[in-house]
Amino acid sequence: MARSLKKGPYIDFRLDKKVDAMNDSGKKSVIKTWSRRSMISPDFVGHTFAVHNGNKFIPVYVTENMVGHKLGEFAPTRNFRGHVGKKDKGKR
Amino acid sequence: MNIDECFQLGYIIKKHGLKGEVNVLLDVDDPQYYQELESVFVEINKKLVPFFIDSLSLKGNKAVVKFEDVDTAELADELIGNSLFLPLAVLPKLSGNQFYFHEIMGYEVIDETQGSIGEVKDVYASPQQDLLAVDFNQKEILVPINDEIILSVSHEEKKVKVSLPEGLLDIYLE
Repeated sequence: MARSLKKGPYIDFRLDKKVDAMNDSGKKSVIKTWSRRSMISPDFVGHTFAVHNGNKFIPVYVTENMVGHKLGEFAPTRNFRGHVGKKDKGKR
Repeated sequence: MNIDECFQLGYIIKKHGLKGEVNVLLDVDDPQYYQELESVFVEINKKLVPFFIDSLSLKGNKAVVKFEDVDTAELADELIGNSLFLPLAVLPKLSGNQFYFHEIMGYEVIDETQGSIGEVKDVYASPQQDLLAVDFNQKEILVPINDEIILSVSHEEKKVKVSLPEGLLDIYLE
C-alpha cells in the first residue's frame, strides 16, 4: 500500500536539515547518510550523497530524474555490480 | 577474428517461433544504430563464428533475428545463450569529450584540486548510475560518472579530469 498523501514524502529530518543548510550556504560537499529510506526531494538535486549499503558508502550524485525515488535504490547492497567489458556503452 | 579486437553486441536470449529465428538482446546505448546489420560473430566454444543475417526486426533493445542457414528450431536452440560480437572498427566514432567505458581503463584520474588520485581500475555500470572505480593507494574509490563530475577525457594523454565533490575522498580514507 502506498504511503498516505496526507503525510507527504518521508525524509529523515537530520538529512533534510543538512541539505537545507547546504542550500542556504551554497556549499556542495558530500553528505554521509545511512537513511536509505529517505525519498529524494527536488532540494537534493545537484548534491552528492554517500549512501551506506551495509558495508561501505556509495556516492550518489542526485540528478532531476532521481527525484521521487529512495536514496537506497542507488546504492546496491550486493557485491556484483556488473563489469563493463568491451561494449558500445559509455558517456554520450 | 580475435575476441580482443571485438566488442560485445549482446547475446541470444531464446528461440522465436519454429523457423530458426532467435530473440537477441542488444546490450548497447543505441540499438537503432545496428538495425541494418548484415553479419555478426557468434561466440561458440570460445571461438567467434561469423553468421550472416537474413532479417532483423528491432523492438527497443531486443531484436528478432534470422541467421542465414539457421532454418529450424533445433539449430536455433544450439545458439541460445551465446554472445554476439562485432569488430571494434564498427563502433560509432565519438567526438569531443565522449568516451566508451572500456576505453578509459588504466587512465590516470586527475582531480581539479587534489591532483592525481590514481588509475581507473573498473567501471561499474548499473541502470541507476554508473561508477568509476579508481585505485587510490590500493583502496577503491568510487566516483559517479556524471557531466558535473567528469570534466574531460584526454585519449592522447590517457587522463580523466574530474571535479570531485568536497569530502568524497575523506569517506574512503576514514
